[in-house]
Amino acid sequence: MSAERYNRQIILKGFGEEAQQQLLRAKVLVIGAGGLGCPALQYLAAAGIGHIGLVDDDTISLSNLHRQILFTTADIGKLKVEVAAKRLQEMNTQIGIIRHPIRLQKNNILDILSRYDYILDGTDNFESRYLINDACALLNKPLIFAAVSGFEGQLAVFNTPDHLTPSTNYRDLFPIPPDKGEVANCAENGVLGVLPGILGTMAAAETIKLIAKIGQPLTNKILSYNLLTQEQYTIKISHGGGYTLPKTVDEFLNMDYQDTSEGPQGYAEIDASELVKLQQLESTILIDVRERHEVPILDKQIFTQVPMSEFGAFMSKEFYQKHVVLICQHGIRSVAAAEAMQEKYGDAKKIYSLKGGIVKWRDHFLKP
Amino acid sequence: MKIELISFGKISEFINNQNIEVDGIADTDTFKQYLENQFPALKSMKYKLALNKNIVQENTEITNNAIIAIMPPFSGG
Repeated sequence: MSAERYNRQIILKGFGEEAQQQLLRAKVLVIGAGGLGCPALQYLAAAGIGHIGLVDDDTISLSNLHRQILFTTADIGKLKVEVAAKRLQEMNTQIGIIRHPIRLQKNNILDILSRYDYILDGTDNFESRYLINDACALLNKPLIFAAVSGFEGQLAVFNTPDHLTPSTNYRDLFPIPPDKGEVANCAENGVLGVLPGILGTMAAAETIKLIAKIGQPLTNKILSYNLLTQEQYTIKISHGGGYTLPKTVDEFLNMDYQDTSEGPQGYAEIDASELVKLQQLESTILIDVRERHEVPILDKQIFTQVPMSEFGAFMSKEFYQKHVVLICQHGIRSVAAAEAMQEKYGDAKKIYSLKGGIVKWRDHFLKP
Repeated sequence: MKIELISFGKISEFINNQNIEVDGIADTDTFKQYLENQFPALKSMKYKLALNKNIVQENTEITNNAIIAIMPPFSGG
């Protein structure tokens, strides 16, 4: 270890050489290399956490860049874990960075989490958050939880007992996930880039405090942060009821975490492989919502053209297909179209938006 | 009885932080019913109450000048 690299924190009163050694020995897994994960990863790597794992199966898109600050414009289309790992390794050559370019699911999460001491949840959906919570509770891993909504954030440390309370978990706050459509849809879900920056950095701070055993981490507490007022409000969490945590691996594998990415918004964002599956169903209509001048031009036998400017008129007519897949250039307009359809048809039709759009799955659309 | 209400996230869009004056509300269960009557949108949402900065896990007595926070789950990242 180069003491000089970490000199400014080693000389800090109440930190010192021993705390630095603990950071170096620690294994931290950051789930989600997004708005929360990027700043968390940067500070964890810079501080000298010895082993950092990154989980993310997503690629970088233009609309990520205002908050996912490890990535540059030239990185668009690349795998997040690859770009992030490279940047972090360049920043600190003395630590190990482990890439996990996968989506965590019931069947792989326990294996991966068991290799780490601390888990930082920087994901962006309830399915993942409950999956991670339950896996951490089962494996008894400290979980650093950060989440944002609008101009506000939440930060907590779960599965870590303090001297007063046995460990609590996310289900002590919210025993069961919200129903679909209950929590804000995507159109309302904008975020100022700096907000996950702040929360992700705070999550890194909590991780470092836990490892180095300094200060009072938010153990059994949840902090609410408001960017607009700079106010913070901390609530003490106690053990609650009304939920069942899986107590064994078998119980865990039998839980229902809805591992498609169908979020609380009521429509599903899918990838190209799911698109191929849907394409084979009779009752599927594929709709290209780009304007007529946009390229590449798709096969009109397969993709029905309904530009956004004509979308209202299209929806006023009836159509028989049950599965509706919406496609655009980057997967942004197709989300807006999915929301409009969801609002009109509710559960009567299954609505999908191709995540990342034609640009992300170029090979799929341009193959002969 | 005076209660200070603090709300977060989506809930703060229809319940402002405010001081309210209520009578006949002795505990958190009754208060929850009162809230859901006043703000029906709450009924269809997941949320948790905190009384004087402690999460409410069971029916708890409310005393004058209590601070009650109403918190929804966040998932964004």
